[in-house]
Amino acid sequence: MATGKPQIQQLARQLFKLSFVDGRLSNEQVAGVLAYVEKTHAANAVAILKVYQRLVAAEVAKGSAVIEHAGPVADATLSAIGTSLSQRYGRPVTTTAKANPSLLAGLRVRIADDVYESSVSGQLAALSESV
Amino acid sequence: MSTVIEQIEQQIAKLSNKAVRKNTGIIRTVADGVAKIDGLSDVAYNEMIQFPNGVIGIALNLAADEVGAVVLGDVSQLKEGDEVSTTGKLLSVPVGKALLGRAVDALGNPVDGKGPIGSTETYPVEKIAPGIMARKSVSQPLFTGIQAIDSMIPIGRGQRELIIGDRGTGKTTIAIDTIINQAKINKVGAASGDPAFRPVYSIYVAIGQKNSNIVRTIAALEAAGALEYTIIVAAPAADNAANQYLAPFSGAAMGEWFMENGMDALIVFDDLSKHAVAYRQISLILKRPSGREAYPGDVFYLHSRLLERSARLDGKGSLTALPIIETLAGDVSAYIPTNVISITDGQIFLETDLFNQGIRPAVSVGLSVSRVGSAAQIKVTKQVGGKLKGELAQFRELAAFAQFGSDLDAKTKSQLDRGGRIVELFKQPAFNPISIELQAVTIYALQKGYYDALDTKKVTAAAVSIREFFATRKDALLTEIRTKAALDKDLEAKIVAALDEWKSTYAA
Repeated sequence: MATGKPQIQQLARQLFKLSFVDGRLSNEQVAGVLAYVEKTHAANAVAILKVYQRLVAAEVAKGSAVIEHAGPVADATLSAIGTSLSQRYGRPVTTTAKANPSLLAGLRVRIADDVYESSVSGQLAALSESV
Repeated sequence: MSTVIEQIEQQIAKLSNKAVRKNTGIIRTVADGVAKIDGLSDVAYNEMIQFPNGVIGIALNLAADEVGAVVLGDVSQLKEGDEVSTTGKLLSVPVGKALLGRAVDALGNPVDGKGPIGSTETYPVEKIAPGIMARKSVSQPLFTGIQAIDSMIPIGRGQRELIIGDRGTGKTTIAIDTIINQAKINKVGAASGDPAFRPVYSIYVAIGQKNSNIVRTIAALEAAGALEYTIIVAAPAADNAANQYLAPFSGAAMGEWFMENGMDALIVFDDLSKHAVAYRQISLILKRPSGREAYPGDVFYLHSRLLERSARLDGKGSLTALPIIETLAGDVSAYIPTNVISITDGQIFLETDLFNQGIRPAVSVGLSVSRVGSAAQIKVTKQVGGKLKGELAQFRELAAFAQFGSDLDAKTKSQLDRGGRIVELFKQPAFNPISIELQAVTIYALQKGYYDALDTKKVTAAAVSIREFFATRKDALLTEIRTKAALDKDLEAKIVAALDEWKSTYAA
């Protein structure tokens, strides 16, 4: 079983690749991977699973958008954003609304590594940087 | 009509409200000026990264699941879990004439307390060097004001000439002398009103040096009136390794502005040994594979891509580079010295033994070379000093041989005597560059035997006296030498007459 850090990362990546079916992360495959790691009693199981968890979490985040809002947001707006993001990223995107009064007004959409800023606080921050 | 304007205004308002997309990441670790970041899936190599509290960094390692970035600022303000974002920009520094007379850090921020820099233009720090077609061969001289160099190891505009030697052998002094000489020439050129005159602006990049040394250098330049033509880029020893790594590239970007805009510039990298050490530190922390002497595999490319940016461009200006390398116990065959020797167009080798014997500048004629050669010399220097290098090399050989026996034939004795005089003539105090016309006169006096009647030890004083005599009494003749830049019979007769006049008044 893997001993060094590079080997742990390599194995975690291999397990991560095995978790896909038709280019999509599969819950069954993930469960299978977990069962495999448990069954083999790997010496570095914790380390491997931590890396694996990070990779899976990053992949899950690509299909889930968090929409932060300062005021009330209509359901139609949320679904419109979800549709638009699904088109842009070429995969189904689920949306979660989260109130964030520090935005003052507007929205901030976070999906995977990308952040779409359309809030007053973001504009003020950009303004203060440019001054 | 008003409807159309309203439509445009609405469109502008719509666009300005458009969401701004940022690619973000989370700091996983920060150590020794390097941050490991999760995320940043869209980051490009060498892209600027925005850290919290206005700190910026550069992405240097792009791995499958993490990004390694060097932090250019206060690392203590960053912590694990902080959000960072890409900027979509390459690191750029301010450029232009507004920087002249100023001291800036590796990012172009002023560090001299003289207020903000009024520069409107920026250039990327990393840039691909000019290609083959854009270049022109080096043929215009760049006078250092140091007799031994200008007459035997000439440097041309657009050349890369390495200054190499042990610590305390006068490497920085040669560079500073050259900068001071450019300022002197610029002033004379500006006063002459010659429209064809091309001034040389200087950039001095201090890497890993003590702050006190940088202050001393600035003071020397200021005292000589050269600071107004010079940009100081300071990345002192107290700066983090990332800034020391970037400083030469920032300096090169500032120099490129002059070159691209049809002007001539000189850049001094003081020194590239410390630059390599800073890069080694960054590379080791980034866990890049290390090679010889623990330097990363691309340390050659680090210096070659930097020095290749110095060039003479066809139809534009030039950027001349004087990189400095510090050797240990005169070992030029070490890793970094051999790398830089092979990249540059020649080297000025300084020897500790010569320095300790009082021969300053301690230029070793045998080991120093300029690959551009006499193409970058004016005719008058070639005429008066063309044979000096050979004579001096012969002298060194004979001097070593003569140690073993006292009975020498007359020819050998005369060669030794002449060599001794050349050595004495080339002695020159620090921060005192000599104009090319005065160099020509003193060397001409040597060729015509004006020092032969003197004791060898008195040659230096006699040469100083000749220079003073010409500078105070024969200004018109010096101007003629400078403008003609070649000796003809008429000019030679005038110089001989002036030297005779000097001889009649000079008492050794």
